[in-house]
Amino acid sequence: MNRRDFLSTVGKTAISLPLVGVGTTFSVTPVFAANPSDYRALVCVFFLGGLDTHDVLIPYDQPSYDAWVRIRNSLVSAQGQTRARANLLPIASGSTVTASGTFALPPEMPLLHSLYQQGRVAIAANVGPLISATTRSDFQNEAVPLPPRLFSHNDQQSVWQASAPEGAQFGWGGLFADAMLSAGANQVPEFSTITSLGNELFLTGQVAKPYQVGLDGAAQVDFLADEDVPAALKSVLRRHFAGESADQINVISRDLGDAFAGALTANERYDAATASAEPFNTVFPTSPLGAQLRAVAQAISVRSQLQAQRQIFFVGIGGFDTHSAQATDLPGLLTQIDGALAAFYQSMQELALGSNVTLFTASDFGRTLVINGDGTDHGWGAHHLVMGDAVSGGQIHGFVPPAQLDHDYDSGGGRLIPTTSVEQYAAPLGRWFGLSETELLAALPNRANFATEPSLIIA
Amino acid sequence: MTVFFRSLLVLCILEAAGCGGSGIDGVDEENNIFVSEPDEIFATQNSTARFLTQATFGPIPDQVVAMTGGNASDWIINEFSQPASLVLPEMESFYDFFNDDELSGFASSISTFAYWRNVLAGDDQLRQRMAYALSQILVVSNGGGELLTDVPEAVGYYMDVLTRNAFGNYRDLMHEVTYTPAMGHYLTYLGNQKGDPATGRVPDENYAREILQLFTVGTVALNPDGTPKTDASDAPVEIYSNSDITGLARVFTGLGLSEESFGTNEEDDIATLMAQPMAIFEQEHSSLEKRFLGSVIPANTSAAESINRALDVIFNHSNVAPFVSRQLIQRFVTSHPEPAYVARVANAFEAGTYTLPNGTTVGNARRGDLKATISAILFDEQARTVQSSPFFGKVREPVLRFSAWTRAFQVSQITPQYVTALWDTSGVNSLNQHPYRAASVFNFYRPGYIAPGTASGTLELTVPELQIVNAASIPGYANFMTYMVYGRDPVEEAQELAEEFDEAGVSLDPQAALSSFIPDYQDELDVAADAAALLALLDQKLTYGTLSAKTRTAITEALNNIPLDQDDAEFDRVAVAIVMVVTSADFLVQR
Repeated sequence: MNRRDFLSTVGKTAISLPLVGVGTTFSVTPVFAANPSDYRALVCVFFLGGLDTHDVLIPYDQPSYDAWVRIRNSLVSAQGQTRARANLLPIASGSTVTASGTFALPPEMPLLHSLYQQGRVAIAANVGPLISATTRSDFQNEAVPLPPRLFSHNDQQSVWQASAPEGAQFGWGGLFADAMLSAGANQVPEFSTITSLGNELFLTGQVAKPYQVGLDGAAQVDFLADEDVPAALKSVLRRHFAGESADQINVISRDLGDAFAGALTANERYDAATASAEPFNTVFPTSPLGAQLRAVAQAISVRSQLQAQRQIFFVGIGGFDTHSAQATDLPGLLTQIDGALAAFYQSMQELALGSNVTLFTASDFGRTLVINGDGTDHGWGAHHLVMGDAVSGGQIHGFVPPAQLDHDYDSGGGRLIPTTSVEQYAAPLGRWFGLSETELLAALPNRANFATEPSLIIA
Repeated sequence: MTVFFRSLLVLCILEAAGCGGSGIDGVDEENNIFVSEPDEIFATQNSTARFLTQATFGPIPDQVVAMTGGNASDWIINEFSQPASLVLPEMESFYDFFNDDELSGFASSISTFAYWRNVLAGDDQLRQRMAYALSQILVVSNGGGELLTDVPEAVGYYMDVLTRNAFGNYRDLMHEVTYTPAMGHYLTYLGNQKGDPATGRVPDENYAREILQLFTVGTVALNPDGTPKTDASDAPVEIYSNSDITGLARVFTGLGLSEESFGTNEEDDIATLMAQPMAIFEQEHSSLEKRFLGSVIPANTSAAESINRALDVIFNHSNVAPFVSRQLIQRFVTSHPEPAYVARVANAFEAGTYTLPNGTTVGNARRGDLKATISAILFDEQARTVQSSPFFGKVREPVLRFSAWTRAFQVSQITPQYVTALWDTSGVNSLNQHPYRAASVFNFYRPGYIAPGTASGTLELTVPELQIVNAASIPGYANFMTYMVYGRDPVEEAQELAEEFDEAGVSLDPQAALSSFIPDYQDELDVAADAAALLALLDQKLTYGTLSAKTRTAITEALNNIPLDQDDAEFDRVAVAIVMVVTSADFLVQR
């Protein structure tokens, strides 16, 4: 089955998404994205396991800080001086926030603190999966529909990425890419969505499929790269490694053959494109996230060789499921995030693409405000970062619930009920990427259930 | 049937509940054992090899010849009686050869060395396969670079718990797993304290959630055939909420490492402590009422009793049989089993017995019996009939592809300590899979994974292994196998190993690399000049007669480009042909 056949099959069975409530809150806009001429990229950085953002956006005014310390006493004690108020990095909240009091970042994040203060980083407050606006009493009485399988890692990763639990087929990153492909972007569709991880749901659209790039470029079959293998033999082997002999009757065999074919051609093309890549002056940290974002920066640097105008990247690191030993384990991860994101920002400056590349973070969920001894348990809403020169930075966007228990947005134990849905968070990113309102609503099925969205991007 | 195979058989009456089956046609006087009539399953070498591909780490050609003409029921009864090859004793054999005060790649790999040895060379093949399958449901991982990496005895003991219980009962397995320090550490309930209203501290919920979601019942109500039950609006029915989790979390408080130490800090004898059940600290166990899944454990119930009752409540949920059965079918036979197949296996799990084709009943009639369950999986008509269904089969797991090669070609010395490529095969440039080293408790792939944007995905078929097949792992696997089949330079390896051993203070002879994992290609070299004969041999050894005409044509064409007059032509022809077979869809998809 070749790519064209495949598309025609998928097209027939694709779920068409209802467009309920469209048109009331949006101005009249074209149905389809315009053919893009400039370059834009979105980079999703996923914190696997559920990042405790109660420990990232920290209450700073004295009463709120004290309340936060009281609830998290055993953790804060174990954290020692790093969570002493004097050592926190206070930030300006900006005009887009609803919150009482002020906030700070932890001392592990000096570079992001600086970028935030320069207006290059924004914070989106209390983001998470929602079907519609939900309060504590709605949650307790099940008065509104709730996202499926809350607090479960794999399902909430899936809901974040695809608005549906495990088994979902298409992520909004992939659907964003689909929209731009149909608008004529990217002559070579294989490189529309790229990841340094595995078969990422987020990047899978009906057309777009994730391409897995190695940290130092494309993977190659040694046999085909070996100069000692004679050309005639190599050509036979090349057809073999392109899966040409795979049985087409059995669907698993067919899928495997297609995977071999796709891998071989994409790797070869990617390899050819990166042959001309220039090294960066920016020094990326050698951390796992640093190495992944370096690979992304390198891919962006050869965007014209890859014939791409619109790309979406997905990177991620694990270790955030800090049920235990949070004081020991989380600081290193926060430092890693700080170094890697700041280097990535710098590398985009080097390419003069600061306004063309927008990075945003995501995670399974936030965590409890209460402590389980030396860690925190699965939560729901969490604060996230958006970075780039197109970002309305230096501001907290949205509502930050107080560091207390049993308020209107506490589902229990300080598991925040989100006040900005993932799809509200995604919409301005998609619009900036070039999607029309119709395409946005198709990619983000629950977006229409909310009247507003955070103004994360500079108009 | 040869003497070789007969000698492996034992009295089935020792193991099976009832032996008086119709298919038993006599007693082998010489060995005093029952021998059933030949069956269809072992009728031909290909059918025998197909069965062994599903049930073992790969068929060994001599054994295939010996077993053909025999009876698969006899075989499985014999497997049930094989003593377990355990990892901890095997690990101990390394203790004299390195300095265990220092962390090193070698030191942390000794459980891996022992594991490879047991699964590749052990006689208890079905038991080892079952334990491996269970390890992908009840997941712990030593890939985190912390305690479970540094103290290999923790996962070594865990491996042995699964291996010992592989033919036991799932309820007993839940109990033993719950008390392992490996799971206690991995899911962070080792040292889990009861709540404290004064500070607001609550019990850690990690294990409470995952034992339900991943190990026993899943998230939604299931029919006995594994399909989700639906409500009036056709939506799946979730079977618990977060309050069940907080209720159950109280149960898993008060387990510590030893009677002296609740946590895991700086214990001198940590290797010993991590290789035995956790100890109960009653004063750290929650004395509150524990409410979950519609059950209540009253206040002031002891830790041991609370755990016991909670495991009973969970195990008695009607989801357990279809939830566990479907995943086990996926590991042995097919990725997207028909509901009726799941129902038949779940039925054996529920009944705790299964009657083999030779009339022997296996299992002790207790719900959760794993002998009955695995028998129902392997002897089901869905597994045994050669399936022409386009939806049948599974992608062979990378570990099982590699193991099939080692066994098909009877590699010399299964001594992975001398082959650094086998110390960690989890990398994307390696097998992208290493036993007991998944990236998370969600295993290497999810049982419900539907590969987006594929033909199987369009049909909504679950194909878990496709989750780790991609543009990076495909060349990675091809290169790893090319290296093992063809590309190793043992002299150079021995030199590198000498440096590695030197740094880590290992007093083993690196020259043993020269004789480790060297395949025996003599049969193939003998016919290397004859492409058809070579392919016939490889088809028999690797793909039980299913190598397609297209693949044969491609390999023949490749061989035609390796003329016999060039240096090492025979070896090159054999090696290229093997690499092509093990990277062909015919081999990669087990049908």
